[in-house]
Amino acid sequence: MRRLPLVLLLLAACHSSTQSSAPAPSQTLVNGAGSTFVFPLLSKVFSDYTRVAPAVRFNYQSIGSGAGIRQITDRTVDFGASDAPLTDEQLAKAPGLLHLPVVLGSVAVAYNLPGKPALRLTADALAGIFLGEISRWNDPRLAAANPGVELPDLAIAVVHRSDGSGTTAIFTDYLAKVSPTWAAKVRHGTAVRWPIGIGGKGNEGVAGQLTTLPGAIGYVELAYAFQNHLPTVELQNASGAWIKPSIASTTAAAAGVDLPPDLRVSVTNSGNPAAYPIAGFTYLLVYRDQTDPVKGPALAHFLWWEIHQGQAEAEPLLYAPIPPSVVEKDAAKVQSMTLSGKPIVEG
Amino acid sequence: MTAAPPRASPFRRRRRAFVDSAMTWLCGACIAIALLPLASLLFMVVARGAGAMSWTFLTHLPKPVGETGGGVGNGLVGSALILGVAAVIALPAGVGAGLYLAARGDGATGRAVRFLAEVLSGAPSVVVGIAVYALLVRPMHRFSAVAGGLALAILMLPMLARATEEAVRMVPRDLFEASLALGVAEWRSSLWVVARTALGGITTAGCLALARAAGETAPLLFTALGNAFWNVRPDQPTASLPVQIFDYAVSPYPDWQRQAWGAALVLLLLVAVLNAVARIATRARLPGGA
Repeated sequence: MRRLPLVLLLLAACHSSTQSSAPAPSQTLVNGAGSTFVFPLLSKVFSDYTRVAPAVRFNYQSIGSGAGIRQITDRTVDFGASDAPLTDEQLAKAPGLLHLPVVLGSVAVAYNLPGKPALRLTADALAGIFLGEISRWNDPRLAAANPGVELPDLAIAVVHRSDGSGTTAIFTDYLAKVSPTWAAKVRHGTAVRWPIGIGGKGNEGVAGQLTTLPGAIGYVELAYAFQNHLPTVELQNASGAWIKPSIASTTAAAAGVDLPPDLRVSVTNSGNPAAYPIAGFTYLLVYRDQTDPVKGPALAHFLWWEIHQGQAEAEPLLYAPIPPSVVEKDAAKVQSMTLSGKPIVEG
Repeated sequence: MTAAPPRASPFRRRRRAFVDSAMTWLCGACIAIALLPLASLLFMVVARGAGAMSWTFLTHLPKPVGETGGGVGNGLVGSALILGVAAVIALPAGVGAGLYLAARGDGATGRAVRFLAEVLSGAPSVVVGIAVYALLVRPMHRFSAVAGGLALAILMLPMLARATEEAVRMVPRDLFEASLALGVAEWRSSLWVVARTALGGITTAGCLALARAAGETAPLLFTALGNAFWNVRPDQPTASLPVQIFDYAVSPYPDWQRQAWGAALVLLLLVAVLNAVARIATRARLPGGA
């Protein structure tokens, strides 16, 4: 009982000292949850959007894509965010849920070799390494793509994620597309049965292993590779071109892709000659039919802003904006949103 | 028949002295090994967190990546709110259960309650979070400080009940019987005489349980969720320090990682204050210790 006054005191102290920045009670709080990957971008976007719509506060919490899908299905949040589209089975439980791709992410293959030589890997070589079929850096199958590069006689240490993750889903989706052996033996998903390698928890765990372990190779989100100054592998895409992971080559992965009406699509191994092959959409998930007279329009107007003006926020934070062809499709989706049967955003 | 104690030979005496000092050193080394993780943890958190610490850090809302400044004020207020709710739920229930166990807990019911408390204290905290999610969050379609507080309260309950029982059992039974002999009702004797005498121990138990709950992340993710803004309404998603530390620590940005260390230091200080309050409360109530 005696620590109650203390708690109250603490509450009062914190609150009174910051009264000026506390929101008026009339402000609307729109809640969202999901993808960890998109959290830094959304926190920036929502902060800037308060200048456009000061009466609405968007609260986004990064609890993981899978959990985000679960929450929007249970309707405990107003919107969700996921690095992978819902499966047919999941979508059946959330009728009327819209997928809006808002940004693209890519998975860089990073490595630790003495002297940091540039490295190119064919799709077969990449699959061979992660299957454990190629176990030394001086393997002739690696040398063929890297003429003039002295690859050391060193064991390859494969590093993968130990936790379930959207990054793993995109990476294994790509390997399953390019390698029949991978598709048959390991398959794809947020967590798979790795044939070889050591696990790291989270992108930061894998990046940590990569910086300390000579001979290591692993996969991390592009932003982590850049921030940790990890050398990244140049991959051969479906058109045979050698492509470094970058923001431009990530956006290119979604350009020229045939989008299905519900926009649920994998863009790995893209046919675009300028595309980096291991990329994917991050989706915002909202219900077409909104019921809350304040939150519904607030959400729709935000989404309209985000797919247009909001795209400029992506690149400085190392996210890839969506190409114009996808913006068009998104716009049609936002216009299809209704509040009690009436459209919210006019074209 | 009395025999003279056997004289130890000089050799034996030296051997004993050697074993004695060797054992002392060994124990000392074991203490050092046990304290090493704690000391290195404290050192790391202070060394890396102190740089982030400032008045702004404690009183401002988080800022997005790329903007300087920003703090964990919402997490501090949120943690206080959630812990407040947890205390309101757990203290009466936990202390009440402890009193019952001490007074009447020797029968089958008492054994069952004790067994259940043990099972509950062994349950992973994330399981408690999921249970509260299913019970409260999902039916109400909202995350809230109440749900977070309830999850933490469930974690605190078994600790509180057992610690209260221990504290109450330390009170001499004579005191209780003396009160009964004066014609005071049993429930009144329990509360006003026994519990009051054991108050120091109970307060300590409460503070320690709160301190433990303050560091929990897993049960809050799916109950209180988190909030990037100020919130004092118990029916809204609410920020907490551990969840904020988690969010910042896994981000790729050095500035956010720095803030994660800062927030960890704040949490550590909060827990230290709770522990200190527990000690002071004990001493103030009972001169000479409980």
